[in-house]
Amino acid sequence: MKLKSLALATAAVLFAVPAFAEDLVLSIGARGYGPAVERNLERFAKANPDIKIEWNKVSDVPGETRKLYVTSLTAKSPTPDVYAVDVIWAGEFAKRGWLQPLNGLLPDTAIAAFNPSLVSAATVDGKVYALPLYADGIHFFYRSDLLQKYGLAVPKTWEEVVADSKVIADGEKNPQFYGFVSMWAKIEGLYMNWLAFANGNGGGMFDANGKLAVNQPANVKATQFMVDMLDKGVAPESILSMKPDDARTLFQQGRAAFLMVQDFVYAPLAAPDSPVAGKFDFTRVPYFDGHPDAKSTTMGGWFLGINPNSQHKEAAAKFLDFFTAYDQQLAAAVEDNRAPTIPAVYKDPTMAKAEVLAKFGADFDFGVVRPSAEAGSNYPKVSEIMQIEITNALHKQKTVEQALNDAQSQIEAVLAQ
Amino acid sequence: MTVLSSRLDQRRQAVAFGFVTPTLLVITLILVYPILQSILLSFGDSSIDGSEPWHFVGLKHYAELMADQRFWNALGVTLTFTGLSIPLELIFGVALALLMNEHFRGKGLARLAVLFPWALPTALNTLMWRWMYNTDYGLFNAVALQTGLAHRPIDWLGDATLAMLSMVVVSVWKTSSFMALIILAGLQSIPKELYEAGRMDGMTKWQEFRQITLPLLRGPILVALIVRSMDALRTFELPFNLTDGGPVTATESLSLYAYKVIFDFIEFNYGAAIVVAQFLVIFAMSLLYIFTLRNKD
Amino acid sequence: MKTRPRIGLYALVVLSVVISFLPIVWLILTSLKTTAGIYAWPPQYWPTPITLANYIKIITDSPELLLYVLNSFIVGVGCTALTLSIGGLAGYALARLNMRRAALLMVVILAVSMFPPVSLLPSLFQNFLNLGLLNTYTGLIIAHTGLFLPFTVWMLASYFSTLPAEIEEAARMDGMGLMRIFLTIVIPLSWPGFVATGLIVFIFSWNEFPLALVLMTQNAMRTAPVGISLYPGEYAFPWETISTATVIAIVPILVLTAIFQKQIVGGLTAGSGK
Repeated sequence: MKLKSLALATAAVLFAVPAFAEDLVLSIGARGYGPAVERNLERFAKANPDIKIEWNKVSDVPGETRKLYVTSLTAKSPTPDVYAVDVIWAGEFAKRGWLQPLNGLLPDTAIAAFNPSLVSAATVDGKVYALPLYADGIHFFYRSDLLQKYGLAVPKTWEEVVADSKVIADGEKNPQFYGFVSMWAKIEGLYMNWLAFANGNGGGMFDANGKLAVNQPANVKATQFMVDMLDKGVAPESILSMKPDDARTLFQQGRAAFLMVQDFVYAPLAAPDSPVAGKFDFTRVPYFDGHPDAKSTTMGGWFLGINPNSQHKEAAAKFLDFFTAYDQQLAAAVEDNRAPTIPAVYKDPTMAKAEVLAKFGADFDFGVVRPSAEAGSNYPKVSEIMQIEITNALHKQKTVEQALNDAQSQIEAVLAQ
Repeated sequence: MTVLSSRLDQRRQAVAFGFVTPTLLVITLILVYPILQSILLSFGDSSIDGSEPWHFVGLKHYAELMADQRFWNALGVTLTFTGLSIPLELIFGVALALLMNEHFRGKGLARLAVLFPWALPTALNTLMWRWMYNTDYGLFNAVALQTGLAHRPIDWLGDATLAMLSMVVVSVWKTSSFMALIILAGLQSIPKELYEAGRMDGMTKWQEFRQITLPLLRGPILVALIVRSMDALRTFELPFNLTDGGPVTATESLSLYAYKVIFDFIEFNYGAAIVVAQFLVIFAMSLLYIFTLRNKD
Repeated sequence: MKTRPRIGLYALVVLSVVISFLPIVWLILTSLKTTAGIYAWPPQYWPTPITLANYIKIITDSPELLLYVLNSFIVGVGCTALTLSIGGLAGYALARLNMRRAALLMVVILAVSMFPPVSLLPSLFQNFLNLGLLNTYTGLIIAHTGLFLPFTVWMLASYFSTLPAEIEEAARMDGMGLMRIFLTIVIPLSWPGFVATGLIVFIFSWNEFPLALVLMTQNAMRTAPVGISLYPGEYAFPWETISTATVIAIVPILVLTAIFQKQIVGGLTAGSGK
């Protein structure tokens, strides 16, 4: 019965297209922005009865969705009209002509309200191609109960992390307990991790003059530190095949003192039936001795953009503006813990209700985006080269210097193309 | 008479052609046309944003391919994987088929169970295995540690050799049943009288197997080998979901590399060249099998 | 004397059944656990407590899963029917009608099926966009049919070539047309082969992922494997919902395999005995 009514309802949705209404297709996952999507769609429908939105749910796993986008956008398909892009795709998609420039379609004041560092990730040649919908970043989660048990302060520097890990691991006397876990499998997350280490030591992809400097001494030292963490047993060998959820699982099982991944882990870790509920907290990503101001929180997030082949660009712009606006961001923050991308939202009085999010926001003050706008359509290759060479260093296939030198020369070649 | 028969034959040819036409149309739309486009892509270049149309560049991408270490690595991985898994699948397939050909109670249920791994979607299957293999919280290490078989967790997917073997295990688990299916069918068509004759001659079970069963199974075995080798040489979902091609690129198959080039780097032309090269390898391997079959008959 | 080998036989059967079923049993057990149970260490081998909460949650939170299963069923049945009918005709012509260049055609059909499918997506999408076949059952049915036709033609052709020629000869003498011979004589005679091939094609279609992902972008048109791929988050992999959704989505396959398993083996028997 249920099935039949479902099929009927679907048929009704498919065929009941009101005349003269503009139909927009929105492509975004159901998990990333969570209940906020549905809620905002209802609000928009009330305010704009003449525009009908069809929500095509897509996978939140970037690889799956990318396959879909690459296929439909190269074919110049007119749908989706509005679609969500990972922060690292914005620059690349803009270069490929897969995103409509928003200057002109949206008032400049609307664009200016957003966090400039995030907007820079979608800015190519002075034009903005997508607006940030929500942000996330990596944080440093720790077992507050264990720190207390061993009389340790919350570590601020990597040197302290290593020392504290040893104290805790020695004290716990459990061969299946680890100091530090994170996502060091050969995935984008590894590159995010490496950037956190490198930036935390005053390094990064570029030197002070903006020239590519993957092999600068600060990076070599930071990378060597990662290798040493493995050697000292602070991080287990298995970290080299861990993805974010693998590391989260270990931490949740009470088998690690420190965890460095994105904010998504907060909800499952704090769930009532979680073994570590009430026993953990988080803080900004550590830095190296002497670099307390380092921007070490590698940021992620999703943007909304418009398909240049859309036949309803005006309506799409209206929708985009509404969906990313102050009120919607505030609601998503307070109700669903999604980090706003308009800085003013954090100062809103209602934000007092969202304590956890306020703490995430404080970490984002040390936020840094990946060099996706600079690399443009070459970003996937740049990231791949970095992932491979960092993995080579961690697996001791190459020395740290050699791996970073190789990365430098390969990326130079890619960017020169 | 000859006029009549040739006219009859002409009519029959026309009908036969009519029978084949729908198949050819669908295959042309779904396979042949995209394949031709891929081949064309591999001989050309077009600009990133599509503003500049395709233009011919000859063998440029194939020359790049010859100098691309990652391509050779992927080819090596693919051949190693195929070379390891196919013989194992064959051995287990034959064994399973012999077992399921015996008479015992609950045979129907047992056959269903043995068939089942093959009927599950590879992607989900593989994710399931990835979880069971997990070094720190996977089923295998939990059992190994609790029973004392291992004293420290085994890094199944983190070590280059173990990762390849782990991949082979999943493949063998999944597709031995498909091999068994085809071989079981062959077994059932062997006339019983042959075995009776063998018994009269005082053959042992092993001799029966070597001298009667195996030679008569050559046909089905070769069909199974071709079908499975084709799939193994194109393996994608297995490394994609199990190891991401890692550690580093130790389990990166040709299909996985092509996928990265096409959908991550968005280099359709170069990706097409990889795929065409891969096709040639598969075609060569099939010819080898067919040639072997012909030679012995 | 006779009992020992029997025990050994049963031991082997049980062993292979256990190994074949282990992952799926683990999947079913997982779907019956609480979230805490799933991530417990050391692992819970048996769910304590056993809960149906995950099933209830899926059915109430995302009833569209049932729609996805229905879509997969429609596409699977459509693809199987189309593949068997046109593939059957082609196989018959190639195997039995002394068609000119039949061998060459067979090789070409096999060769095109060897091409790695990953590279075909962009151009296939483009064609389907132009033809207006995106987000239609017809579109995906044709796409799957094209994908699995080579296998079908080969299977059925090898099956037909084992049929005794005399019956068809006699029918032709009686003045029957080739189409009628095919429909009234060849199909009934080779029915087990059709069932076996059909079931395999159905399973192929049910499990096919990339084309279903790209050619069906509307929610209402998604197939089961693509629907299940919507459950993981960007970083999180919620085994409680994924294991449950997978179990729901494979029930039809399990039932069908159970019903037709005799025919699969029976059908293939005749097919390979050439």
